[in-house]
Amino acid sequence: MRWLKENSLSLAFLVMFLLALGGQAVAGMLQFNDLQLVQGADPVSFAEYVTSSDFAVDVAENWQSEYLQFFLYIMLTVWLVQKGSPESKKVEDAGAESDEQQQIGAHATSYSPAWAKARGARLWLFSNSLGLVMGVIFVLSWLAQSVAGQAAYNSVRLGDLRDPVSWGQYVTSAEFWNRSLQNWQSELLAVLSMVVLSVYLRQRGSPESKPVGAPHAATDVEG
Amino acid sequence: MRFPFVVPALLLAAVGCAVDTTSPARAAERFHAAVAAHQENAACGLLARTTADKLPDPGQTCAQALGDVKLGPGGRVTEVNVWGNEAQVRLAGDTVFLHRFADGWRVKAAGCRPVRDLPYECEVEG
Repeated sequence: MRWLKENSLSLAFLVMFLLALGGQAVAGMLQFNDLQLVQGADPVSFAEYVTSSDFAVDVAENWQSEYLQFFLYIMLTVWLVQKGSPESKKVEDAGAESDEQQQIGAHATSYSPAWAKARGARLWLFSNSLGLVMGVIFVLSWLAQSVAGQAAYNSVRLGDLRDPVSWGQYVTSAEFWNRSLQNWQSELLAVLSMVVLSVYLRQRGSPESKPVGAPHAATDVEG
Repeated sequence: MRFPFVVPALLLAAVGCAVDTTSPARAAERFHAAVAAHQENAACGLLARTTADKLPDPGQTCAQALGDVKLGPGGRVTEVNVWGNEAQVRLAGDTVFLHRFADGWRVKAAGCRPVRDLPYECEVEG
């Protein structure tokens, strides 16, 4: 029970993620089969749908935008600040910060991870590992979106008696950029809302908020 | 943290697996061979149901309508594009569009000519 409590946030999001992904798969299959019926085609099974390019592109286009959001947030908050936001560092702390502040190298403690005590490439890699992993997942998800999207798009084009397009034509097409940008704009708006609203609004008990009584101008204070 | 790397790779693998181009090519060739041999009933049997239903005018059978269309010779297969359950087979004398049903590939459109930026115009289509 103690383990469950200590990991309840991760577990709750994992369960909600799996339920939402499963729900998307079922709803997506029903919608796909509704279109198949109209076009005089055979309905597909659940297994066929979840391995189809239609499902893959719908999943990947959302994943890439979420990972892009977190990648940008992680990287931009190193240098950019928002006075009064608990999501931001203090204005004077903008930048990569000193080794002492980051508890690395000679300033590492006995509790620091092994790579934080290292030097050179290992220290650089560990120092940037969160941003790197988020960035790599974003690139892979976006690549998966482009590959699956080309397959789904070409299937529709052939069904409409049109020529298929190459991968290069697809990633410069309105379809690809419409799919990407419609997700990016919503993620960027959500981050902007969080940064600005958290200056003036509070959520008692949430570490994403300042304490209820903290002044609006207080930056880098979490409740 | 290995899981997030695996899933995009699986997505790539799922859409990038080997594609069977032989079956739609054979179906397109069989259709044109039946038309060339004036076996219109057999050719109609290779059409998608919606195409076979839409082809005849009132009072006509599919075979009679197909005989009236006067499709040119198909010739040899020069290119096959398969995406999902849809295929385009380019023959020396025609472009044929097919759809994969539970019982195999069937012709959706034949006698097709390209139109810039628009769908092909086809003599036979559903």
